[in-house]
Amino acid sequence: MNLATSIEQHDPSRVALVDGESAHTYGELTERAALLRAVLIDNGVGPDDRVGVLAGNEPLFVAASMAALGVGARVIPMKPTNPLSELKRKLAAIEPAAVLIGEDGGWIHTHGGTLGVLLIDAARAASTTPPPPIVERDADDIAFMMLTSGVSGEPKVAMLSHGNLDAAQRAISTEVEGGLSPDDITLGSLPVAHIFGLNAVLLTSLRVGAKIILERRFDLLGSLELVREHQITVLAGAPPMWRLWSMTDAAEGTFDSVRVALSGAAALPSDVFNDMRDRHGVVVEEGYGLTETSSVLTTCRGGEVRPGSVGRAVPGIEMVLVEEDGSPVDPGDSGEIVVRGPGIFHGYFNDPDTTGQVLTEDGWFWTGDVGVFDEDGYLYLVDRVKDLIIVSGFNVYPAEVENILLEHEGVAGAVVVGGESLETGETVIAHIQGTATADELDAFAREHLTRYKCPTEYHFVDEIPVAPTGKLIRRELR
Amino acid sequence: MAAPAFTFEEAPELPGNERLSKYGVSGLRRLVHRLWDLDIEGLHHIPATGPAILCPNHLSFCDSVFVPLSLPRRVWAIGKGEYMDDWKTKHLFPAFGMIPVDRSGGDAAQVALDTAAKVLDGGHLFMIYPEGTRSRSGNLHKARTGAARLSLRCSAPIIPVGHSGTLAVQPPDQFVMKPGLPVSVRFGAPMHIEDHGDPADPRTVRKFADEVMFEIAQLSGQKYVNTYAGSDDTPDAPTATGAPVTKPSISVPPGRSRAPKAAFAGLS
Repeated sequence: MNLATSIEQHDPSRVALVDGESAHTYGELTERAALLRAVLIDNGVGPDDRVGVLAGNEPLFVAASMAALGVGARVIPMKPTNPLSELKRKLAAIEPAAVLIGEDGGWIHTHGGTLGVLLIDAARAASTTPPPPIVERDADDIAFMMLTSGVSGEPKVAMLSHGNLDAAQRAISTEVEGGLSPDDITLGSLPVAHIFGLNAVLLTSLRVGAKIILERRFDLLGSLELVREHQITVLAGAPPMWRLWSMTDAAEGTFDSVRVALSGAAALPSDVFNDMRDRHGVVVEEGYGLTETSSVLTTCRGGEVRPGSVGRAVPGIEMVLVEEDGSPVDPGDSGEIVVRGPGIFHGYFNDPDTTGQVLTEDGWFWTGDVGVFDEDGYLYLVDRVKDLIIVSGFNVYPAEVENILLEHEGVAGAVVVGGESLETGETVIAHIQGTATADELDAFAREHLTRYKCPTEYHFVDEIPVAPTGKLIRRELR
Repeated sequence: MAAPAFTFEEAPELPGNERLSKYGVSGLRRLVHRLWDLDIEGLHHIPATGPAILCPNHLSFCDSVFVPLSLPRRVWAIGKGEYMDDWKTKHLFPAFGMIPVDRSGGDAAQVALDTAAKVLDGGHLFMIYPEGTRSRSGNLHKARTGAARLSLRCSAPIIPVGHSGTLAVQPPDQFVMKPGLPVSVRFGAPMHIEDHGDPADPRTVRKFADEVMFEIAQLSGQKYVNTYAGSDDTPDAPTATGAPVTKPSISVPPGRSRAPKAAFAGLS
């Protein structure tokens, strides 16, 4: 197998990608990928070499990635919006044999001499070598290496094999009722350097032969225009995007073509869900997955949408909720989500210690997320294990406290973290963006929260640190 | 405090009801007050009629004597079916409201829960130890979710109960209860699950169970530890909530470390 063959399986005249005014067929993508394979071979790049792809949501990202996969190399998607210092740090960590540069990454050429790595302009590179055939790979051979700093700090590089990504793609296309199909038109606004945008949206759409309307940088009005103009059927976004879409006064019928609305990467606030449903007639389906699981673990596809739930485990995934010692929780109780299945990654690159903290030899991946099943197996996420605050022995999940504080009309943003306390071990500290005073918030919290969950300190900040995916960056406030 | 006026509720539909008369129970109540220095607080929280779930901490076998006999109404609880095979317990325990449940079957927990629901649906009081078993460490342990689920299912409030002194009266493995010692039983305000989260959201059950334990800790003065009773101290015999089920464990990553967070002095 080789994921690089996925674009070659469709009618070459079918449009695969639309990028602004230009459309690119599956045939054109296949040709460009073949040419770049030759270029990579010319430069001595072969199986298991690491190849960076510095490109945004553009056709060259697809051609370059497929080319690198085609010679058996491992692809590391790199965000062209990263500052130079950040890119240098990442290049030092992954030491690629070459970096293929797309249009959005073109600015790097002026710094080429300082990087100490082979840069290849994917748009202009040429070769006289006949395009080599796509190299056959095993399911366990690494295809993508995803840079994932998440919101917890140190960057990690998750290794995903051809078999991993293939399994996750099948789980949300052919193996689920109402999954992605060749007739779909997908909006490609989510960044392709993120697993949600890469595998759940871009690669799965390419696999089934759908058409992807690329948006290089998310913009509210621009995305709405694309939805209308191209009659988008699959609309995928992170919660901040859904919030903007929910608030818009888009013309009636804008979303009529949308048959699948997906949210992931962070919890979708209930008011956003309600607004999308009530104002725009769109029922947003939450899903759940991590980079380490090749994106999707649960989906509402093939089932029903239950507000607050991220759906049920996709086919092939074993999902268990466990106590700290690995024993399954009682029915109806919450526990850490532990999963096993064909989409689970092969560990972090050059980091056996971190890998050993989350992955067992028999294939169980400890996600670090706490969840609970309802009686029909629908999963509801509680919070991150690492964010847990323990007050006098009692668990306090920051999300619960934050959601209460956000209900106060004088609060625009809230982040809750733990602080040290001699009396209670830890204490709840709230960072607030808004106009409410500490006394008002204290009274409000005492009215709505059990005593041990009430913040003991309030700090006021100008802006709450939020990642583009909508996840709070708590480490900045600890 | 003197024993409050007692209501002996007839419940012919419940097993064990026919055992011992209300006169017998009244006699036991008087005896308990004579033999021990029993201090009872918060009786005004016990509804005169209607269902409620009593959730006490669990330190000693004799908790099942002091808590029921502190109440102004008859209370029911689940007990091992084996008690009915022993002449010492077959009449006495049902008098305290024990409903014998055979726990040898695979669905014993469900049978216990269904029986409890029957009690509550009949408008009676039901007692369940949320920790599931006696605490041998003296700490208050993490709750099993049975009581919270029962509260949700039957729309019955939970009344947190914190007691102290029972461990000295009857330490583990002692058959005789030492007389003359002080025992305190404190009842807290009824807790309704809908005040603690959306009852339709499955996350609410654990949240409610934890918040009940917080109230019990306030009443009993115990230190709370977020592990199940029996898991970090001497393995204990199961009591009223069902036999522990042996479940296959998921392997834990070898590099995983869960260093305990900083020690603390107690509840603030």
